[in-house]
Amino acid sequence: MTTRGVSHPVASDAVVVDRVSMTFNEGKSNEVRALCDLELVIRPADFVSLIGPSGCGKSTLLRLIASLISPTSGSLLVNGKSASQARVEQDYGMAFQQSGLFEWRTVQKNIELPLELKGWGKSKRHQRSTEMLELVQLSDFASNMPWELSGGMQQRVAIARSLAAHPPLLLMDEPFGALDEMTREHMQAELLRICAASETTVVFVTHSIPEAVYLSNRVVVMSPRPGRITEIIDVNLGSDRDEDTREEATFYGKITEVREALRGAEAADGPRGIEDR
Amino acid sequence: MILRGLRRAALFVLALMIVAAAWEFYKAVGPEKGGEILGVRILPRSSERAMPHTWEMGQRLFDPEVRGQDRPIWLAVLGYSWFTFRMALVGFALGCVFGMSLAVVMARFSVVERGLLPYVVASQTVPLIALAPQVAALGGNWGLPKWMWVAALGAFLAFFPVSVATLKGLSTAPAASLELMDSYAASWWTTLRKLRFPAAVPYIIPGMKLGATAAVIGVIVSEVSTGVRGVGFAALTYAQKATSDPAQVYTAVFGAALLGLSMFGLVVAIELLVMRNRPAEAS
Ligand SMILES: Nc1ncnc2c1ncn2[C@@H]1O[C@H](COP(=O)(O)OP(=O)(O)OP(=O)(O)O)[C@@H](O)[C@H]1O
Ligand SMILES: [Mg+2]
Repeated sequence: MTTRGVSHPVASDAVVVDRVSMTFNEGKSNEVRALCDLELVIRPADFVSLIGPSGCGKSTLLRLIASLISPTSGSLLVNGKSASQARVEQDYGMAFQQSGLFEWRTVQKNIELPLELKGWGKSKRHQRSTEMLELVQLSDFASNMPWELSGGMQQRVAIARSLAAHPPLLLMDEPFGALDEMTREHMQAELLRICAASETTVVFVTHSIPEAVYLSNRVVVMSPRPGRITEIIDVNLGSDRDEDTREEATFYGKITEVREALRGAEAADGPRGIEDR
Repeated sequence: MILRGLRRAALFVLALMIVAAAWEFYKAVGPEKGGEILGVRILPRSSERAMPHTWEMGQRLFDPEVRGQDRPIWLAVLGYSWFTFRMALVGFALGCVFGMSLAVVMARFSVVERGLLPYVVASQTVPLIALAPQVAALGGNWGLPKWMWVAALGAFLAFFPVSVATLKGLSTAPAASLELMDSYAASWWTTLRKLRFPAAVPYIIPGMKLGATAAVIGVIVSEVSTGVRGVGFAALTYAQKATSDPAQVYTAVFGAALLGLSMFGLVVAIELLVMRNRPAEAS
């Protein structure tokens, strides 16, 4: 089943992307058309994955929702507000492709950064960051410096940081890319548990089709540059997903469906990787 | 750690001995009255008056400053050096505060950077010796003690390297971290405190090392031209007695060297303190 956006967004929607286009360096010789005419509505507590070939604008879309950059045309609403207002009110937490930890802060203090900026008191911060450390299974490393940790552990700290303030919206850019298979599955299960418990909306960028299918209610398939949404696939494996779900036929069926949609998306725009600048 | 300290100390002593040996070697073979190369007088005189033996300098430390006193000269020189050290320290501290503040202002407003930087650079070409007496006289008019003005002139030389290093350091925060602070809608000031400044520290430290030495030079030079009685002034008065007591001036030189090393050591101590939790390659 395919839904192309939703034509009647309502104020309670978590994210509304309305005919958004993004062109970098517009009018210059190094102009890049990253995104073209995107429409997407994400309901509260939805888990949406963005998938598509490298360079198709997934990170760009995430940064647009985060209001770190503004679209060339079109508009974005987050939690019924303009994206920039939502940013000011810290309505979202973000985990980037790189962990981006501060090397002069301990692991625990890194996790406390967003709480500090929200003006939380010391003991409350400590309590929450301790919880978060347990969640990502790094309690033993609370007072280590980030550069003493492996890449995957650093990424887990970054995830803990993005979750620390319990934001209503989570924007995650390939957060589990650097993790080993077992940790990755553990983190996936934890993420689902947290999001279900706190009704968090998630926009999740990934390169892994099984990951997208396992985690999401909907998988948004994007085409190569200029990025467009070619298909939105409903998944809904049910809220009682567990390790067995990964072996069920419906799981594999959805994986095939996404894979074909991806192939179609690439075929429609010619061979992969063509440069259009 | 202790072993490394010992090795460093041994290397330091070795370096001193090499310098002393070179000195004695030149004294032995160099021309008594100095020499010319291609008609330019560049070879220093190796006479007793110009180049006393190293051991004479060493012995001189234990003789009194003027005949008849009990107190050995090294105590007197140490006293002068301590006085100069305190002025240099005040100058260095002022220079750091001013240099960093200036860098922050320049980083905040690029218009200011473009407008101010040429003047900051030009300020360092001002002939300090010529300026020092005027500045001290001006300070005197305002009823401030002279040493404060000497310290201020030390600050004048110290702020420049600190400022340049801080300005560079403030721009080194990674784009991803800046974006993170952006995603928290953190103000410019908050981003400075939590991100830009800590990221700049590895750059500021070398600037401070240069600044510390510059403060010492500034203070010693200003002493000479303002008559504030520190180790620089002592060197000047001793040098005037070179005919009768050629080794004396070198006791002041030792004092000044000790002072410079102490200032430098202070910054190294600060470095060890603030960089203790940083990855090794950043220091
Ligand atoms: N700041 C920028 N300036 C210029 N071009 C940019 C900028 N950011 C992204 N782009 C371009 O926009 C396009 C999309 O980039 P984006 O990072 O969104 O891709 P992506 O889908 O996240 O890729 P990947 O899967 O490799 O992370 C790329 O062609 C990239 O070169
Ligand atoms: Mg990306």
